[in-house]
Order: sequence, then C-alpha cells, then structure tokens
Amino acid sequence: MRISPTLRAAPAGLLALPVLVLWPSWGTVLACAAVWLLVVLGDALAAPSPRRLQVVRRSPAQVVLGGTGTGRLLLTNPGPRRARLQVRDAWNPTAGLDSPRAAVDVPAHERREIAQRFTPTRRGEHSSRALVIDSRGPLGLARRSARIDAPGRMLALHPFGARRHLPSRVRRLREIEGLAAVHQRGQGTEFDSLRDFVDGDDVRSIDWRATARRRSVVVRTWRPERDRHVLVVVDTSRTGAVRLGEGTRLDAAFDAALLLTALAGQAGDRVDLLCVDRVEHLSVIGSRRGTALHDMVSATAPVHPALVETDWELAAARIRERTRRGSLVVLLTPVDATTVHGALLPVTARLAADHPVVIGSVSDPALDELAAGREDVPALYAAASAETARARAAGTARALERTGVHVVHAPPERAPQALADAYLALKAAGRL
Amino acid sequence: MTAPTPTGVRAIPRSRVLLTAAIAIALIATVAVTVLRGSYRDGALEPDAPTPQGSRAVVRVLGDTGTEVGTARHTSDAARDLRGGGTVLLADAEGLSPAQLDLLASSLDAPGAGHLVLVAPDALTLAALTDDVEPAGSIAGEATVPAGDCGDLAHGARALAVRGEDGALADQGRLGAARTYAVRGDAEGCFDAGGGSLLVSDGSITVLGAADVLTNECITGADDAALALNLLGAEDTLTWYVPSATDPLALTAPSLLTHLPRWTGPVALWLMALVVVALVAAGRRQGPVVVEPLPVTARGEELVLGRARLLERASERTAAASALRAAAAGRLAARLGQRHETSLDALLAALAPHTSLSPDRLRALLEHRPVADDQQLLRLAHDLDALEKEIDR
Repeated sequence: MRISPTLRAAPAGLLALPVLVLWPSWGTVLACAAVWLLVVLGDALAAPSPRRLQVVRRSPAQVVLGGTGTGRLLLTNPGPRRARLQVRDAWNPTAGLDSPRAAVDVPAHERREIAQRFTPTRRGEHSSRALVIDSRGPLGLARRSARIDAPGRMLALHPFGARRHLPSRVRRLREIEGLAAVHQRGQGTEFDSLRDFVDGDDVRSIDWRATARRRSVVVRTWRPERDRHVLVVVDTSRTGAVRLGEGTRLDAAFDAALLLTALAGQAGDRVDLLCVDRVEHLSVIGSRRGTALHDMVSATAPVHPALVETDWELAAARIRERTRRGSLVVLLTPVDATTVHGALLPVTARLAADHPVVIGSVSDPALDELAAGREDVPALYAAASAETARARAAGTARALERTGVHVVHAPPERAPQALADAYLALKAAGRL
Repeated sequence: MTAPTPTGVRAIPRSRVLLTAAIAIALIATVAVTVLRGSYRDGALEPDAPTPQGSRAVVRVLGDTGTEVGTARHTSDAARDLRGGGTVLLADAEGLSPAQLDLLASSLDAPGAGHLVLVAPDALTLAALTDDVEPAGSIAGEATVPAGDCGDLAHGARALAVRGEDGALADQGRLGAARTYAVRGDAEGCFDAGGGSLLVSDGSITVLGAADVLTNECITGADDAALALNLLGAEDTLTWYVPSATDPLALTAPSLLTHLPRWTGPVALWLMALVVVALVAAGRRQGPVVVEPLPVTARGEELVLGRARLLERASERTAAASALRAAAAGRLAARLGQRHETSLDALLAALAPHTSLSPDRLRALLEHRPVADDQQLLRLAHDLDALEKEIDR
C-alpha cells in the first residue's frame, strides 16, 4: 500500500501564505511544511484501507470481435467509514474497455457496482493486468492505493465474417442432397428413392426389379453419404502472419475453416480441426455436431501465427492418427514455392493416396494490385515482379495438383466461399 | 443493492467548497496584509520604512524638531538641493555612476553649496568627491566606540553603538559592517576604531561609516540619536537622497532583488515546494503500464517489391518484359480455352482471328525479345494491356 498526496494537496498549501508573509523566515517554512505533512498524513490515515474492500469481478467470458460485452465490478465496503474510491481496471488496450477509470463512493457496509463495456479490437485472449484502487481521505488531500488481486479474462472470438455466405451454400447442399430438387446417381451407398429414367442417367443405376413391375424404366437414386469425416489442418507458421487487407492470412484461413465447419455440420459431417506449425498447437477433435462450430470458434480465438516453419512430416503423422481412410483432409496453407517444394509436396502425395485432399490457399490481394500497375517505370518493374510471383504460385499449385490434391487459391474475401464450393463439388461428385 | 455508476455529473462535495473558500480567504488575507503594510517603501535607510532597517524614526524626529526633510530619488534633485544650500544625505553611497558622482561633486563646488553627508561610501565614491579621505577598515562585531577628543565634530555624542554584521542591515550585505576611514590633509576624524574613524569631516563633506546609526533598530543605542539629529538637523532643510534604479543617470541599476520585501524568499520557496508537490501529484500514474501482446504481422509484398527494385537497379528490362509477356500469354491462352503449356505458335495462330493486329506485330508483342529502353518497356506493357482488352470483348 502506498500513500501519496493528491493534486488538491498543493493548493491547500496556499493556506500557509499569510503566515509566511507575517513571519518571514526559513523556520516558518519548515514549520509550515511539517504542519502540511501532518495534515496530509492524517487525511491518508483517515481513509479506509483499499485492501479491506471486497471486490467481485463479473467480466464477459467471450465477446465476438466487433461486438460489445458488458461486465460488472462489485465493490463492497465492510468497514465503518465511507470509502471514496478511484478505481483503475488495467485491461490491455485492445480489450476496448470504455472507461478504465471510475470514481465511486461506497458508504459504510454497502456495495456499489461499476458497469463496464468491452468492445475488443483484436482477436484472442484479453486480461486485466491489475486492479488498482485509490482510497481518498475525507479532505481529499491524500490517498492510499493498493493493487487488488481480482484477475479478469476475456476471449475475443473470431468474427466469422464468412457466415453471410452460409445460406447460399446450404441451399446448394440441399440441392445436391436431393432434398429440394435434383436426385442424381452418386457413389453413395445410402438408398434414397426411385425415379423415372431420363437420358444421361448411368445405366448401371437402373433398378431392373422395379422396372419389371412398371412399364417405364426406373433408376435408383442415392443420397450422398452422411457422417463423413473432415479434418481441417490450419498452418499457423510464419506464412500466416502476412497481413492481407484488413486481417492476417491466418484470420482468413480461420474464416474459411469456420464456414466449412458450419456447412459440413449442415451436411451431417463431422469436422475436426488441427492447428500446427513446428508443434501441434490445438486440436478440436470429436465435437458433437451441434457444438462443433462453437467449439471451433472459441478454440481458435487465442491462436496466433508464430515465426517458425511448419513441420509437415509431423502434421502428416498427426493427420494419420486422426483420420480413417476416405476422410476429407483440408490443408489451409499458402501455396508458396519455398515451403511447398521442400516439405509439403511429398506429404500431399502420400495423403492423396488415402484421402481426398483440398489445399486452401489465401492469396495476397496486394500482388494483384501491383501486377496492374502501369503508371511509371518502377510500377512496371513491380508489376513484372508481381507477375513472376503469381506465376510461381500458379506453378506450385499445378505441381500440387499433379500429386492428386485439389488446390483452391483465392484472395481473403473469396477464399471461404471458394473452399466451401470445393467441398460442395466433392459432395456433388460423390467423392465424399 | 447497487446504485447507478457515479461517473456522470456529481454534486460538488462539501469539503471541496470549504477548501476552495479557505484558500480564497487565505489569498485575500495575504493580499490585504501586504497592501495595508505596503504604503511605504521598504529598504535599507528608507525614510518612510518602519522596519528595523528603515529610518522612519530619525526622519520623524527631525521633522518634529523643525527640520524640513525631503526625499530625493534622482541625483539631479539631490544636486539641486545641494546647490541650494541644504544638507543632503546620500543614504546608499555605493554603485553610483561616474556621471552621478560628477554632478554631485560639481554641485558641491558651486558657490553657496550646502553640506553633503555620505553614509558608508566606498573608495570609488570617496575618490570622486574628496582627496583627503579613504577607507581604512571595518568593525565586524558589535561595538561601542567612544568619541575621544574631537570637540564639535562629535556633535554632542560621547559614544556610538554599532551592531556590525549582526545589525539590521546585515542581510543587505554591503551596508552590514561599520566602516572606518583614514584622514589626510585638512580632514578631521572622530570616533576612532578599527584603524580609522567612524566619522570624518572634510570641509562640506561629512562621512559617516556606520549606517546603523540611522536605522530604526539602532538609533536608540548609546548616543547614536544625538549624533544623527545634530549632524542632520544642522540646517533648516535636509534632503534624504536614496539612489534609485530608475534614475536616468544611473549606470548600474541595483539589482531588483534588493528591493523585494523580506518575505519573498520564504514565500517563493514555499510556492516552489507546492509546485513540486502538484507536479508529482499530477504526474502520478495509477497502477502499472499495460503492455499489449500484439500478434506478429508482416507485409506480404515486401519480397516482391524488393525483387522489383533489384530488377530496376540492374536495368533488367528484358527480364521484366518477359514476365509481363508470359503473364499476358497465360491469360490469353486461358481465355481462348487453350492449355497452359501451349506453345507460342499455337497461341499466335489462335489469336490471329480475334485481333486487328498483324501476325508480325503479335509475334513482336508476345515473343521473348530484348527491350532497349524504358520507353519501349512502357509501350510494350500498354500494348499488351490493349491486346488483352481486345480479346476480352
């Protein structure tokens, strides 16, 4: 606990001026200083100790980035004296606490509340580093301050901006499933219904027994499989730290992963998530279908890119542990020539033998802008350099596709939809 | 149980009103005290000052005994009175400029000039006014100096009490210790002490070495009053000349500090201490500095821009042109439904029906050829764009 004078203690010292004018000597100055000190100390000691206050914190556990959460700080004064408090709740700045400082008077044996509003501006974990309470004396000349132990934590969740693309993709999914319009012959094993043969239907799907009962040719239709397994692997290495437009590449990758999770949940598939760079960081395995999206949003909130290279052999081993043959494996990593040719290519070749593999790559929109530059000679060189980079990325993507994986390469605002479309295309083709 | 948060408008607390009122009263009292006391000018040997260092007592008594006492602040006034035959007391005979001393000396030499009394003058002042008196020493401590055998010059005083450095003028510094003077030629001295005389007369000039004699505090000591009254009351008029910094003839103005009241120092110190307290209180931080754990981010295009600058510095126009050509060819091939790996000839053949350009011109645009200068590179880029737009239609 510390005692310090308030700003008001200085003007209060002006009261000594008449004394100093009437008896001008250095001794008088000393005497005035002594009296002033005594008064200030006495005022501080008359203030109730901030340590004796009972503090209860009710901070919101989770707030979606861009939204607002409300919390409360309850201060109880158990002592017999009125407490005049100045409270500072030291959250980190991006937690977006509207008023980190509050003045509150708590009468004896009463409780008061400080309302707090959080508008976080950064995804991830936020915490209150300290709760400092100043207790002012009755004259307001001095205060006692203390740090109170009242830890506060809050998770700012990914905003999931791609959510608005979910309804259109679900509609496509329903079409594919045949619940709405089209029934088609897939490679699924679950029998759905019989319908009349139309030109273009696979002759192998004709149900001869049903045809024999009727006068027209009848084919069987099959629902796409449900309860398939999807494993989303997010690369959290240095490539994720690249800033693309408003967010980082990792943010866009999470956006895509969440849209895929939501869509797969609608399709009745199970989705697991793995975040990996040099070590495995986080996995969301075996969530129930209803809670998978929520689990994933809260699990990915505190994940941030690290300045390391991804160990794809380790990732492959983890993927092998977590999947059965035929599971869809989605790798969210940029197609970058240096990383892909080194480690990723052999891994995808092995994975593609057992699984359908989709690589979701978020491209840098700045490259497209640079490539369109024509205004002067430096802009031309930048355009040429950007074209080279795009050509290398395209070449790398082709090399990956030759190993049998499907590559989705799109800028951040289109990447989630593109990945969802790739998933729907796999469903439609009956590969999942 | 809980009240709305008191962060909004709050009633001004009673204690703050009381404190503000108390401070206001204190400030008003301070001003009142200084104004009420401030009808005189405080300073060493000031004729109106009732403070220990002032000379109000002597001046009042002289006035009561029939001497007309006037105050002069400028040398010209003092010189005029001196020429008119009155007695002039030079209260602070130090730091006068040569011009002021010349004016006094010439007035003294004028016919019918009066009497000049110097209080503790320094060597420079003495040299300008007389040749026969010079400083001899000083009396540092408190002392009573007997008159000795010097007749009329003692002005009826048998002994002088001086306070030396502990006197009322101690904190004025230069008027502190009493000074003694040695005499030569026609000059006469009296009250001998410390290797010289406290009182010296040289014609129309009288030198008084002890300023204490004239102060309110010391005038009652020994026969000081007798000396002061007899010396200064000899004529009908007395001009009490206190040199002032505003004198147009003054060369070196006495520093402003010597004219400040005595409480200036303590009050200034107190105010400074309060300002320090205010600064410390205002600069106090409540709790620790909070560090934001920002995640790392990097700009993606740095590598591309760096490579562009390398190309530019090396003037690799042909390489830049190849990159632009390859990209354009790739997009054209995709638009015409050709495979990416298609050869240039096949692409040119496919393009020919869709464009107005001649086959040679098309080949010149898309084939790998050296580029000579920047203008050519710019033209190539624009031509490629135009071609792509044409195919787009």
